[in-house]
Amino acid sequence: MLTPMQIIKNKRAEAVHRIIGKGYLSTRRVYVGMATCEIAAGSKDVMQVFRQAIADGVTDVYLSQKGCAGRCNLEPTVEVIEEGKIPVKYGRVSPQRARDIVERHLKKGEVITEWMI
Amino acid sequence: MDDLKKGMEVTEAKFKLTLCDGTACIHKHSKELLLAVESELDKHGLRQAVKINLSGCLGMCKDGPILIVNPGFVMYGGVRVEDVPEIVQSHLVDNKAVTRLIISPDYLYNRFFRVFGDVDFFGRQMRICLRNCGIIDPENIDDYLALRGYEALAKALEMMTPQEVVDEVKKSGLRGRGGAGFSTGLKWEFTAKQVSDRKYVICNADEGDPGAFMDRSAIEGDPHTVLEGMIIAGYAIGASKGVVYIRAEYPLAIKRLEKAIAAAREHNLLGSGILGSNFDFDIEIRLGAGAFVCGEETALIHSIEGSRGMPRPRPPYPSVSGLFGKPTLINNVETWANIPVILLDGADWFSSIGTETSKGTKVFALAGKVHNTGLVEVPMGTTLREIIYDIGGGIPKGKMFKAVQTGGPSGGCLPEQYLDTQIDYESLAKAGSIMGSGGMIVIDEDACMVSLARFFIEFTQDESCGKCTPCREGTKRMYDILTRITEGKGRPGDIELLERLGGMIKRASLCGLGQSAPNPVLSTIKNFREEYEEHIHAKTCRAGQCTAMLSFTVNEKCIGCGACKRVCPVAAVEGARREKHRILPDKCIRCGQCYEACKFDAITRA
Ligand SMILES: Cc1cc2nc3c(=O)[nH]c(=O)nc-3n(C[C@H](O)[C@H](O)[C@H](O)COP(=O)(O)O)c2cc1C
Repeated sequence: MLTPMQIIKNKRAEAVHRIIGKGYLSTRRVYVGMATCEIAAGSKDVMQVFRQAIADGVTDVYLSQKGCAGRCNLEPTVEVIEEGKIPVKYGRVSPQRARDIVERHLKKGEVITEWMI
Repeated sequence: MDDLKKGMEVTEAKFKLTLCDGTACIHKHSKELLLAVESELDKHGLRQAVKINLSGCLGMCKDGPILIVNPGFVMYGGVRVEDVPEIVQSHLVDNKAVTRLIISPDYLYNRFFRVFGDVDFFGRQMRICLRNCGIIDPENIDDYLALRGYEALAKALEMMTPQEVVDEVKKSGLRGRGGAGFSTGLKWEFTAKQVSDRKYVICNADEGDPGAFMDRSAIEGDPHTVLEGMIIAGYAIGASKGVVYIRAEYPLAIKRLEKAIAAAREHNLLGSGILGSNFDFDIEIRLGAGAFVCGEETALIHSIEGSRGMPRPRPPYPSVSGLFGKPTLINNVETWANIPVILLDGADWFSSIGTETSKGTKVFALAGKVHNTGLVEVPMGTTLREIIYDIGGGIPKGKMFKAVQTGGPSGGCLPEQYLDTQIDYESLAKAGSIMGSGGMIVIDEDACMVSLARFFIEFTQDESCGKCTPCREGTKRMYDILTRITEGKGRPGDIELLERLGGMIKRASLCGLGQSAPNPVLSTIKNFREEYEEHIHAKTCRAGQCTAMLSFTVNEKCIGCGACKRVCPVAAVEGARREKHRILPDKCIRCGQCYEACKFDAITRA
């Protein structure tokens, strides 16, 4: 018989395994804010841009949604996290900006400082 | 765009250092440390390239003094004055972190500050309740599990008796975040002590304050932490059923809760024999129709039972006789979200944060005339000024601060002299407002305080359930009087009448709605009485918001372009082209469109 602690630790290990299986260890992780406020500011379209980019062949990207971190006046927000680098957080991301982030940041590795929070 | 630019300016410093300035760290010579850092920076000529922030207690006292270097959120602990030259040389000059001093404590809170980035906004915050919000995918239980999710539950089931769980919550000093601030541990204890065949646990996610969205964001960003808190409570008080009461106006939060509940059931975190123990618990969702009064606990219980949402006298309190007459533990969303952290990081740690009477953090929905609107979570004891100016970035467009409103329709407005008030239940009450559930609206010079009071009383008179006459009729009368004051028809004695009515409503109402409804009016009378007097006696509104008291006239600058004539919706402007125009006072509805349209400053608003 496993104890609750042992069970939960197993569950955690499995969860981590599943997350990694979905590509979490990709070099880049992209998080799009998807709370009511972010969606109202247009984040669904932004999400779509990134989904499409992955469908169109941008590789090595782990895409996920996230809740609201509290920066209401700068929404929608998008975060690009690369291992060993400082996380980059973009504010007021329109679909056009999202396309530029795909082209410039994800494809060419350029951090677009003027949109950073 | 302005805000983005503003953000850019500050990030021009190459590094940002955050030094913990809590009492414990000061004790460990953090002040000397600051001086040492400053002189070392001077030595290297780095003063311009480095920005130093002091933060309140970071809750890591045993590892203090703490020094955090951003970007990168490298956290140094136990830093001594002797270590400073090495940190500056190696980290700030050679760009190599000093590994021997880096700490990565295994606390649940604040662990993602690195990811939040944005030190100015997040630097003074402390995230316990919102620790995962904006970090994890709320619709994927794996994300929560990976971050020690449900470990607090497992710990309770395996290593703690129900009584020990109650004791731990009691020891933490946590108080209800739904408004009244009652000790959570005591409430758990009362409910645990009741002997009954059935007990209930309720999460109050009604969130009726206009403009508040703390609870919605918490659920949307991290639904599992609320569920985990409730399950732990079920174990502690001996309940097997939980209900989340949430307003139907929150569809996304509801969807995420439903998903979270389904996933928790799949993982045997809900249901029977949770995690191999013999404890059973399940949670269901009940939707509210969005009535403010249904956030009041007894009305909420009636609403779940299928009756009309009306409060009833207490005692008996819900902990004795609640849902279907059974002992019921009801807490707010934010209260629940604190529970897993208390169990894992410990009650001792939790109670080290905050003030004498109020422990932990509070989430605020910062709104109104402030640069950075948004959700902030700060340690108790943070001052209003720090929230508005340091985190909020101050008032936009160079306007003057006028007041800050906390507590929504039950709270009050505090003017400038209260800005250094510390956030805790007692201090805010002493200043004449309340903590409330976390609404915080910043008001600048452009706002009319009478109109503001009228707005809140309009809300409460509309939301009054009608059971108590003073609340039902009294708030209506207050609304009528305020309306006539804003229309320039105020009478001498109206202020005193408002005060008398307000006092009566407060004393003679059954529930918190009526007992607090006059607060916005009474507190604005107390702090801004001269504005009321101006409206009544001089028939003027200094903010220019009460348009009924304005008059519009055309002055000498008029060139007769006709712009005002074209926009006037009621044809109250006359005059031939190229000749001075005239506004007909009888026809004018004082909408101000001509004033906006004139390019020559030729319309006088008085
Ligand atoms: C008019 C009125 C509205 C209320 N609305 C809420 C609400 O929206 N959310 C909430 O948690 N508590 C609300 N409360 C407070 C609840 O009655 C109750 O005190 C609270 O849910 C207890 O939880 P806590 O101890 O965790 O704060 C309201 C009270 C009154 C009088």
